[in-house]
Amino acid sequence: MNIIKSKFLLSILALLFSSSSLAGVSVIVNSANGAAIDEGDISRIFLGKVKKFSTGDKITIVNLKYKQATRNEFEKKVLNKSASQVKAYWSKLMFSGKGKPPKELASDKDILAFVAENPGAIGYVADGSVDDSVKVIKSF
Amino acid sequence: MEYYKSNVIKAALISGVLSTGTVQAEIYFNGFASVVGGITASNDGKLYGYDDSFDFEQGSLFALQATSDLDNGLGVTTQIVSRGSDDWDPDFEWAYISYDATDELRFLAGRQRAPFYIYSDFLDVSYAYSWITPPTGVYDLIFDTFDGLGAIYNTSVGEFDSSFQFLYGRNNDELNAFGEQVDADFKGLLGGSLTLTRDWLTLRGGYFQAEMNVPHTGINQLGGGWQQLGFTDIANTVYVSEDDGVFVEAGFQIDYNNLIIVGEYTQLTLDNTPLADQKSYYLMAGWRFDDLLVHMTYGGDDNSKNDITASVNYFNNPGDDPFKNGVNALKGGTQGLVNQQIEEQNYIILGVRWDFHDSAALKFEYTNFSDDLNSNNDAGLFRTALVTVF
Repeated sequence: MNIIKSKFLLSILALLFSSSSLAGVSVIVNSANGAAIDEGDISRIFLGKVKKFSTGDKITIVNLKYKQATRNEFEKKVLNKSASQVKAYWSKLMFSGKGKPPKELASDKDILAFVAENPGAIGYVADGSVDDSVKVIKSF
Repeated sequence: MEYYKSNVIKAALISGVLSTGTVQAEIYFNGFASVVGGITASNDGKLYGYDDSFDFEQGSLFALQATSDLDNGLGVTTQIVSRGSDDWDPDFEWAYISYDATDELRFLAGRQRAPFYIYSDFLDVSYAYSWITPPTGVYDLIFDTFDGLGAIYNTSVGEFDSSFQFLYGRNNDELNAFGEQVDADFKGLLGGSLTLTRDWLTLRGGYFQAEMNVPHTGINQLGGGWQQLGFTDIANTVYVSEDDGVFVEAGFQIDYNNLIIVGEYTQLTLDNTPLADQKSYYLMAGWRFDDLLVHMTYGGDDNSKNDITASVNYFNNPGDDPFKNGVNALKGGTQGLVNQQIEEQNYIILGVRWDFHDSAALKFEYTNFSDDLNSNNDAGLFRTALVTVF
């Protein structure tokens, strides 16, 4: 009985460990971006509810292509939504003319390049992809 | 036809705006579609236009939207929807020019969806919600769009994101009322809605009013009859002319992790008309299992009207007296008109949505409909839908 219990505990631990050992997502902005962005702002920015940084600069969101692992992880952890919920959210705004879904790029490399080039850009990449060309504001 | 013409003019105007700019604006195309099949369970049951033969046309629709951002906050949005129930005749559901005065304030001019309900903005975009269509019992106003002016003000109130939408306009589309195509005119449509969202909670309310003019042949004949016999008050009540209609809505949505709960209550008051007042509501609860969403809805409708002929009694022995016979016929006809609208009904919807693809979902729904006043109208409806955005 005890053995079963401890095995059960172990497998739970293993589950916890494996989920926390997912790659991790870093939200990045242009390295010249001096805006104050707190954690609560991030999801509102990526849902298009906040359109300007605290500095007054216009925000340009950049997204990974649909159903990429890092995007799924970002949407789950930060937006607290599934991939299809996010897609439904943007179709609500799009088909009433109230908003357009963010630009989508194919890879972390493309996102890094876009954010490095555009002062108002905000995006996210897997923790391991981060380099010096951008500024990390928060890791999830 | 007039309506079609006005839309052609509108489209021409819009394309004119697009092409006269010194810099050609980029136009983005998006679309959505629903292919819906439905069949009622019993042999002679009929519900929402479906009967016991499998039908793929009634609920199906295809839509194409074109948007363009011009410089300096100006934008153009047009959306054309083709419905199987309209013999696939394309209609402009949206055709407006928007102006973003600030990040918070947007003005719209042209043809727009009136924000009567929670799902009004994306009423036809089945991909954006759980059901195949929002519950018919609540979503049954005679029109959904209007031509006029709108303003949307988005701001934050404490922890809540708030969106206030104001509109002023008119709808004079040809409508189907009591089985007749009528050149109805809803003038001075005025109203607003307020939506508050905080994290997983959304609260919403709306108030709208319009001056109604519905020149229906049958109704006007009854009104004319009352007038001829000298009952001007009843005649004025029977005519649907320059009468104010008021619509009130309240709703909420909870979207918490895997749980979704939505409820809406609507009330339509049509004083000084022979048209029934309506109270409707639904409550939906759903649970997400990865790509599957299972949901259940309970809803009810209550249509009622006081007897608008109460001030006149039937003549028990009319004999050959044309006046007495006239009153009896008119009273019977008027009461018949009102009574056919009296409803007490409720329904349960059980449904599943499966997000099997990046841009498409498959839905199955069973609606169990009960008419508390006439159980002959009870029906069960099975529907399935393939819905997509592109």
